[in-house]
Amino acid sequence: MDDEQAMQDVRAGDVGKLELLFDRHNRALFRYFLHLTSNRAVSEDLVQEVFFRILKYRHTYQPGTGFCAWMFQVGRNVHMDHAVRHRAEVAMPERGWDVRSAEMPPDRQAQSRQEAALLRRALAAMPPEKREVIVMSRFLDLKYEEIASVLKCETGAVKVRVYRALRELSDRFFALCGERAS
Amino acid sequence: MICERVREQIPECLAGRLDSASRERLLAHLEACPACRAELAEMNAVWRGLGSLPEPEPDPAMRARFLEVIEAYQAGRASGLGRQAEGLPHSRHVWQAVLAFALLMVGVFLGRFVTQPRGASPDVAQLQGQVESLRQLVTLSLLQEQSPSSRLRGVTYSYQMAQPDAQVEQALLYAVNHDSNVNVRLSAVDALEKYGANPQIRRALADAVPVQDSPLVQIALMDLLVELNDKEAAPTLRQLAQDAQADNQVRQHAAWAIQRMEVSQ
Repeated sequence: MDDEQAMQDVRAGDVGKLELLFDRHNRALFRYFLHLTSNRAVSEDLVQEVFFRILKYRHTYQPGTGFCAWMFQVGRNVHMDHAVRHRAEVAMPERGWDVRSAEMPPDRQAQSRQEAALLRRALAAMPPEKREVIVMSRFLDLKYEEIASVLKCETGAVKVRVYRALRELSDRFFALCGERAS
Repeated sequence: MICERVREQIPECLAGRLDSASRERLLAHLEACPACRAELAEMNAVWRGLGSLPEPEPDPAMRARFLEVIEAYQAGRASGLGRQAEGLPHSRHVWQAVLAFALLMVGVFLGRFVTQPRGASPDVAQLQGQVESLRQLVTLSLLQEQSPSSRLRGVTYSYQMAQPDAQVEQALLYAVNHDSNVNVRLSAVDALEKYGANPQIRRALADAVPVQDSPLVQIALMDLLVELNDKEAAPTLRQLAQDAQADNQVRQHAAWAIQRMEVSQ
């Protein structure tokens, strides 16, 4: 059963089908929120909130609409509400997320860990709207059309935004690498 | 200009989403343009670096919490619907269902904080908000049910909302104006009393009086308007009191309502 059919069933009152959608998408949502908040516990709560809202506003789902894009629209709203409520709090990137290091020599592993840490720092320092398009295009593997639907803009605009965001991330990352080297 | 356009395609190229014709054009340009090649190399390094970052997994308990919320929601609905089949007295069992539902939600969310200390203190306000939202959810869902008894449960659930809620308010108003069942309409009128501070609701209630086809509902609406002392409804009621087409009891009640409003001035 595809996502759209499952959501139509939820909309029609078969609330149990939400479990199927949760199992398929909770990880992607969690990663999306984790990149935006840098906080695991908050990200898990926001995932819960997304599915709670999907349940609550299931009647607003339009059959024929891509579920993934609709879900991330809900996720985006949930994150915006969270950001407003916690405006005064500054997100501190959590430790962890060791880089995959299987079958690497120890010196290369150390270098990879360093680069991964710098890349995470660079990503965390990005403006939220730019970080968001990188997360969507790279980590969530959303198509530009889907991102456009989530962000409510044209596909062409997404193309430009992703490029600019990746450009800025590259600049930030190599600047950090330069600082470390010097 | 051409470089700018070409570079905008780099992320798509790295993601493997560029069609073959565009990819060929990009490669042809890169062969002749060292600056764009350098850009591609940098972005490629970052793109690959992002891909090698680990993909953190949520705590398995998150799924358990999600299932508990779904179960609580379904239990809330079932308790509302189940009562209908049993034909038991109304208020006591709805109260029990609501209390059980609320307690379950309190348990779910407190349990989530207690069993997983992560340095964050329990946010009681958030918890209350969640319980309130679930009550709202059950209310709205029941109000959309086919069965009049279920919709009556929905109206009763609305009393449990600690704070007036715009969506519930609109759903109740819709029930007053459009529900096919007189009992549901009467209950919805009563439930709207707590929303009486809103002038738009008072106006909507007054507008509903002359268009209702049930004298009982008309009288209930007038009683509520008197209770709310909504003097702005007086012209509508005066017109109704003089309407020869209206039910005799309704006309008499409208006259009484106007009198009460004038006395309380």
